Amino acid sequence: MAQQKKGPVFAIFFCQQLDARQDINRRCLEKEFGSHIRFFPIPCSGRIEPLHLLKAIESGADMAYLLTCGEGDCRYGEGNIRAKKRVNYAQGLIEEIGLERKRIVLISKKIDAPVSIDILVREAIAGNDMLPIQWNGHNLQVDD
Amino acid sequence: MITAERKPITEIEAMLNPFRRILVVGCGTCVAECAAGGEKEVALLSSALRMDARLKGRKIEVGEVTIDRQCVYEFINELTGFVDHYDAILSLGCGAGVQAVAGLFPKMPVLPGLNTKFIGETKETGLWIENCRACGDCKLGYFAGVCPLTRCAKGLLNGPCGGSKNGVCETNPDTPCAWQMIIDRLEGRGQIDLLQTIFPPVDWSKYEGKGPRKIEREDQRSGS
Repeated sequence: MAQQKKGPVFAIFFCQQLDARQDINRRCLEKEFGSHIRFFPIPCSGRIEPLHLLKAIESGADMAYLLTCGEGDCRYGEGNIRAKKRVNYAQGLIEEIGLERKRIVLISKKIDAPVSIDILVREAIAGNDMLPIQWNGHNLQVDD
Repeated sequence: MITAERKPITEIEAMLNPFRRILVVGCGTCVAECAAGGEKEVALLSSALRMDARLKGRKIEVGEVTIDRQCVYEFINELTGFVDHYDAILSLGCGAGVQAVAGLFPKMPVLPGLNTKFIGETKETGLWIENCRACGDCKLGYFAGVCPLTRCAKGLLNGPCGGSKNGVCETNPDTPCAWQMIIDRLEGRGQIDLLQTIFPPVDWSKYEGKGPRKIEREDQRSGS
C-alpha cells in the first residue's frame, strides 16, 4: 500500500463470470492498494454504462478499467461486445473534456484457461503509464 | 418521434460559461428514446460538465432533473420553484421543448444542449431514420406506408426515377430505394394500380412560409 500512496487511483469494473475465485483474488489487491483500488463486480460486462465509468473518474479514480471475457465467450451472448462500444463512447466523452482516452481501459480476456482477476489487474496496473489526473493543477489524492 | 443529437461539449461549455449554477433538464419522451436527452444522458452530460469545470478550475454547480415532456405545460410546471436556485437551464429537450421551457421561465436563460434533427423512427436499437417531413399533406395511403417525399432522395411523388440499383438509391448505397419498397409492397397487396394516379406538385403552402404552423382542436381546449 505504501508504494502506491501517491500513485493513481484505480476503479476496476469486472464481469463476475470471469473468475470463479474473484472474491478471494481481489482481496489481496484490496489489502495491498487500500483506497487506491476499488472493485465493482457486475453480473455481465454488458451491464456497464458509460455513466458508471464517468462517475468513477468524477469521484476520484484516475483510471477506470473494465475486465470482460473475450469476444465469443460471453455467457449471455454479446455482453462484452456491447461493453466495448460503451467503453468507446465513454472514452470519447472524456476526450471531449480534455482527459486522455486511455484513462478508461477495456481488458478483454479469452477464457481458455482459469482466469484470475488478481493477475489481470496486476498486469494492467504494471502497464499503466498514466499519472493522477491534474484537476486544474491539483490531483484528488485519497487518504489511506 | 422527434430525434436529436447532443451538441459538442465545447459548444455547450461556451454557452454556459457566464453561469455558475446550472440546471440540466432532460425530457423523458422522444429525446429519451433516441438516447439524446433522457435521464441517463442528463446524468452523463452533468458528470462531464462537472469534470470539465474542475479541469479548468471553474466552480460550478450542476443540478439534474428529467421531466416527462418538455413540450407540455403541465410537466414543465413541475420545475416551478425548483429553477429559482439556478442561474441558467440547459435543456436536453428538442427545439420545441427548449422554447416551451423558456416560455414558462422568461427571466431564466434557457440554453439548448441538443441539435434537433428530424421526425423519425427507431429502426433498430441505436438506429433512427427520418421518415416524415411533416409536410402537412400526408399521402402515405397511396404509397403503401412509405413516404417518397422523405425517403426518396429526390422526393419524387411520381417515381421511380430509374436510378435505383438492386433496391438501393443511386445517391447513397446505404439508402434503400423508397420507390422499390413502395412497388414491392403494392405488388404484394395486389394494389399496384394505385400508382396509376399522377400526383401534382406538393402544396408547400401547407408546410412553410406562413410562420409557425398550428393545430387547433376546439374539442380539446378548455374554457369557452
